[in-house]
Amino acid sequence: MSRNLVWYCLKKLLLFFLSMLLLSLAVFCAAHFAPGDPLVSYYGERAEKLTPEERAQAEERLGLYDPLHTQYLRWLSNALRGDFGMSYKYKTGVLEVIGKRLNNTLLLGGTGFLLIFLLSPVLGILCARFEDKPLDRLLCWAGSLSSCIPEFWLSLTLILVFSVWLRLLPSSGAYAVGKAGDWESRLTHLILPLAVVVLSHLWYYAYMIRNQLLEEVRANYVLLAKTKGLSRRQILLRHCLRNVLPPYFSMMAVAVPHILGGTYVVETVFSYPGLGALSYESARNQDTHLLMALCLLSGGAVMLCSMLAQAVNERVDPRTRSGGGMEVERRG
Amino acid sequence: MAELLEVKNLSVSFQTPQGEIEAVRDVSFSVKAGEALAIVGESGCGKSVLCKSILKLLPPSAQIKSGTISAGGADITAIPEREMRKLRGRLFSMVFQDPMTALNPTIPAGRQIAEAVCVHRPRMPKAEVRRRADALLELVGLEPEKARLYPHQLSGGMRQRCVMAIALAAEPQILFADEPTTALDVTVQAQILDLLREIQRILGTATVLVSHDLGVVARVADRVAVMYAGKIVEIGTAEEIFYDPRHPYTWGLLLALPACAREGEPLRAIPGAPPSLLHPPKGDAFAPRSRYALAIDYEETPPMFQITETHFAATWLLDRRAPSVESPVKGGFYG
Repeated sequence: MSRNLVWYCLKKLLLFFLSMLLLSLAVFCAAHFAPGDPLVSYYGERAEKLTPEERAQAEERLGLYDPLHTQYLRWLSNALRGDFGMSYKYKTGVLEVIGKRLNNTLLLGGTGFLLIFLLSPVLGILCARFEDKPLDRLLCWAGSLSSCIPEFWLSLTLILVFSVWLRLLPSSGAYAVGKAGDWESRLTHLILPLAVVVLSHLWYYAYMIRNQLLEEVRANYVLLAKTKGLSRRQILLRHCLRNVLPPYFSMMAVAVPHILGGTYVVETVFSYPGLGALSYESARNQDTHLLMALCLLSGGAVMLCSMLAQAVNERVDPRTRSGGGMEVERRG
Repeated sequence: MAELLEVKNLSVSFQTPQGEIEAVRDVSFSVKAGEALAIVGESGCGKSVLCKSILKLLPPSAQIKSGTISAGGADITAIPEREMRKLRGRLFSMVFQDPMTALNPTIPAGRQIAEAVCVHRPRMPKAEVRRRADALLELVGLEPEKARLYPHQLSGGMRQRCVMAIALAAEPQILFADEPTTALDVTVQAQILDLLREIQRILGTATVLVSHDLGVVARVADRVAVMYAGKIVEIGTAEEIFYDPRHPYTWGLLLALPACAREGEPLRAIPGAPPSLLHPPKGDAFAPRSRYALAIDYEETPPMFQITETHFAATWLLDRRAPSVESPVKGGFYG
């Protein structure tokens, strides 16, 4: 059994590294052929005033003249040794640039993800429990509305109401100037962007759970569970929910970077220094090393979460176990 | 013996966009403790709806239009869902047609049985629940080791046995079996039927068996009710139905059995198809398909004529003014 477990982990680990390798290759090529000028991210405005000689010199110095595969192999051998290169724009190590903002993103995106992850099933169950009753209708109506409102508009409205009119909450940044370590300041700066992130994503997942639950409720086994004398609530929680969760876990695993780092609009409106805006910037100006590190980070997150989701799913639903579920006992 | 279940003039309808479907029309019957009643009829004649309406398992689009259901001495026609829940499993429970989908695919069979054991006894100690679940598995002919297997690891027959264990877990007084063998292959069918009879003998559970297969019914039932187009057209003891049937529809069913066929002749099927229950015909719904139909059959619904103390049939042929018609089922089912 434990040998199986070791083998299982080894296989997953191998798969993980192979996928990361392929991902890095794909991103490297895509970044290379995408429009954008690395020198702009290096020199900023000044890049336009460079003479052709200076340009050539700079490109030579940054190694941009080498053929693509040489550049990639150089990056790879450095990365394998733990050196992910330097950001053209910030002129420091990529990891250092990311590290500074990772906390902010984890705080905003991570809390947002956690809230969405936990609240969606609650809303979904509530709706399914009271199918077509006023509560369900109200939630469906409010949910559709909240997921239809564009993020930027919602952000601006919230700023207008809570920062401008009521003067309750700050409108931008991750913390007040000079208060990076102050939890209270971070918290008050978190509320508005967090509300936008959660409101704009929550219903998508809650609605999925609701609909899948309603599909399950019509399954045959529910009739048998009802004949046992179970209530609708018991059937929903004990029987239907566990059949709905595996696809939900898989979906949430893929959604990790979407919610965690894909908060570009929110970060921009609230001037929140997170990874979303950083990714956008690095992709636009071919800040290759930074882009690579960010892509590998979110790619790695997706893969880890997917594997975690799969491991959980195999426990919840044994049929998803590869090769483990097909033996049928003799007829009797 | 006291009547355990008594259904009087029950009518159940479904509201659909096309109109009202009268699935069960003015049905009356009763079940005594420990007896096996079989309800036979073609697909779509309302057999399943009848059972599910008694357990209140029908979707909201169905409603009881009239009639009363009393079980265990109390009227349960309109009791609220909370009260109904206490009766399900304990007073009556049900085995379904398709064992492939009746079990939750993600919960081991044993746990689904254990759950049924303790629904009505939440304070029962864990070890006791386990012991009872194992005993139930044994009762339905499965080894206790099967408890940890998931439904997809069990064959159809074994799943149906698990469903029966679940249905019997809270020791119900009435077991409804809605075509319990239809989805199984023939050898397994026989085993499951024998098991049903065995359980009835050991536990004394009254059984209501729904089937479209008279062969199945002959194997299990004490009494038989024949349903057609939402109505019970004939009801009596198994002997009376098989040896002395009176309704033309029952004749047709019996004659269509291979056991009744004469050598060298094709099987005698009933011509035509059952009527739509969206707008059920006036009079005797079977008249258009019957060789013995009388003019009045198209006008007026025949009442239940009593033949013996236990034998009733709804056909104008039994009226004293009707021409005498000799039953084509000579010598009965086994003759």
